[in-house]
Amino acid sequence: MNHLGRQSSAAGPVGGWLLIVALLFQVGSALALEVRVTGDRESGFQLMRDGKPFQIMGVGGTVSLDTLAACGGNAIRTWDAASAERIEHGKSLLDTAHEHGIAVVVGLWLGHERHGFDYGDPAQLAKQRREMEAAVTRLAGHPAILAWGLGNEMEGPGGPGDSPAIWREVESLACRIKELDPDHPVMPIVANVNPAKLAAIQEHAPSIDILGVNAYADAARIGAKLRAAKWEKPYCITEFGVAGPWESPHTDWNAPLEPSSRTKAGQTYVAWQRIMEDRTHCLGSFAFLWGSKQEATASWFGILLPSGEKTPRADALTRAWTGHWPADRAPVLEEVDVPFVGRHVKPGKQFEVLVRYRDPEAAPLHYRWEVREESSDRREGGDAERPPGEVPGAVVAAGSAGHAIVTAPQRPGGYRLFVTVLDGNGSGSTDNWPFYVDTQH
Amino acid sequence: MVRLIPCGLLVAVSALAMASMFGQDFGDHSSQTLTAKAWQSHERGDLADTLAFTAKCRELYAAEAAKQQQSLTDFLPADKGHDPWALNHVGTCCFIEGQALERASRKADAVAAYRRLVDDYGYAQCWDTRGWFWQPAKAAQDRLDELEFDAAVAE
Repeated sequence: MNHLGRQSSAAGPVGGWLLIVALLFQVGSALALEVRVTGDRESGFQLMRDGKPFQIMGVGGTVSLDTLAACGGNAIRTWDAASAERIEHGKSLLDTAHEHGIAVVVGLWLGHERHGFDYGDPAQLAKQRREMEAAVTRLAGHPAILAWGLGNEMEGPGGPGDSPAIWREVESLACRIKELDPDHPVMPIVANVNPAKLAAIQEHAPSIDILGVNAYADAARIGAKLRAAKWEKPYCITEFGVAGPWESPHTDWNAPLEPSSRTKAGQTYVAWQRIMEDRTHCLGSFAFLWGSKQEATASWFGILLPSGEKTPRADALTRAWTGHWPADRAPVLEEVDVPFVGRHVKPGKQFEVLVRYRDPEAAPLHYRWEVREESSDRREGGDAERPPGEVPGAVVAAGSAGHAIVTAPQRPGGYRLFVTVLDGNGSGSTDNWPFYVDTQH
Repeated sequence: MVRLIPCGLLVAVSALAMASMFGQDFGDHSSQTLTAKAWQSHERGDLADTLAFTAKCRELYAAEAAKQQQSLTDFLPADKGHDPWALNHVGTCCFIEGQALERASRKADAVAAYRRLVDDYGYAQCWDTRGWFWQPAKAAQDRLDELEFDAAVAE
């Protein structure tokens, strides 16, 4: 029984309206698929959805759900409730997901102290709570919902993350969600784990059902860290993928070296394998990011290109989830000859570059080159970054077989040469190479 | 007959020959020094020096490392992590060797180095100066799996 259902017994005109609202809600609730966590720490855990075992093979993101379903994915997560309700082509994201057989962890955004949110301010907490209650009440009955993703790294991406104020509020919110919607688990989502953070969660937020952990280079070690801290509940890796810019080698001008599209596919595949080796306690994972975003570069985390094509990382996930490659695979990087990678070059110096990609289905490939400034808007914790501008005229000529002639820009500073390769069938790859224009060179 | 010589042995022999030719400074010949010098050589992209230091470390300490590996049934906790010193350094050197060979596009030799680490020195641990131990054999297994995946990509 949900909270509104209990109110439906109220008498009088107000009670009548409440009854109608409650009945409508009950209709919605009847559609909801019950999700439960069974098991215990000793024997292991199992996520049950509508009475059947459900292993999360998910991604973070809200776009191209038809492609995701074709790749074998079965779940997405959002970072806020508004994304789950957004209407596109006349349908909400939840409806579209349900049509494709995709379950949704609906994010309920919680404030971050680094953005000015104060967990000691009753007024801010009350507003946040009202918004969360309204979202849960609106959405709880939807059959696509898998769980509530409570916050995202609200304890902060750095530091111990053990603030009692934050975790007590998480506990209060988790209890309230369970009152409003007893049919779906509550999963706060944190940035990696450490003993102090885990101890604070166990002490102050004992009502949560699942711990969601965002982890990149460390993703395979989360299970061991949780066991070492005697963590008692199941967990889910809510973001994983390739090593982040903060974990990667840098040039001498502090530009992170992005792994190649081919390397990132391998890293994604092996990370998934490692995560799922702990399948008795890990309920599944969400690869980051089904879509694209500017974070250090425009391509670092995107599993899709900005124009929507799937990349080799999507193919790697398909192989991980289904055991075989998709019917159409993305172009594979075979050879690179970019003479200025990681080097200082003179303004105006001209270079011939060559990259060779192979399309597994032998489709003709279309190459698009561009030089962009190195990002000067680097932020923490995945906060939105401003994409750097393209340098007009830097690509002097581009051939059809992966050749191009590039001129170093006149203005000193860091730059990257990007190539994007499309097969015309919905797949593509992109790679980039940093260089530095230096008049002293 | 040459074909019967394992790749790893050829790598070691050629590395030792180069070391002798160019006269590497093995310092005090301790496993710690050799491992540190192997890391430094790898970081500056010097394959010959890297292989010389890793081969010397294995030449001098592989037997002790094997004994220490045999004495363990799991990774030691952090407070005892430094105890199997030979195992830690020889295992780390295998990992460095694999990384250096991968960088040189010698994938088969890299696989041999990683495989040796996983098979023979699985409980080796390496101290990260940021404050924790990491396990070279686990990292090597990741590399082996990535290389296997990459081979499937190339098919």
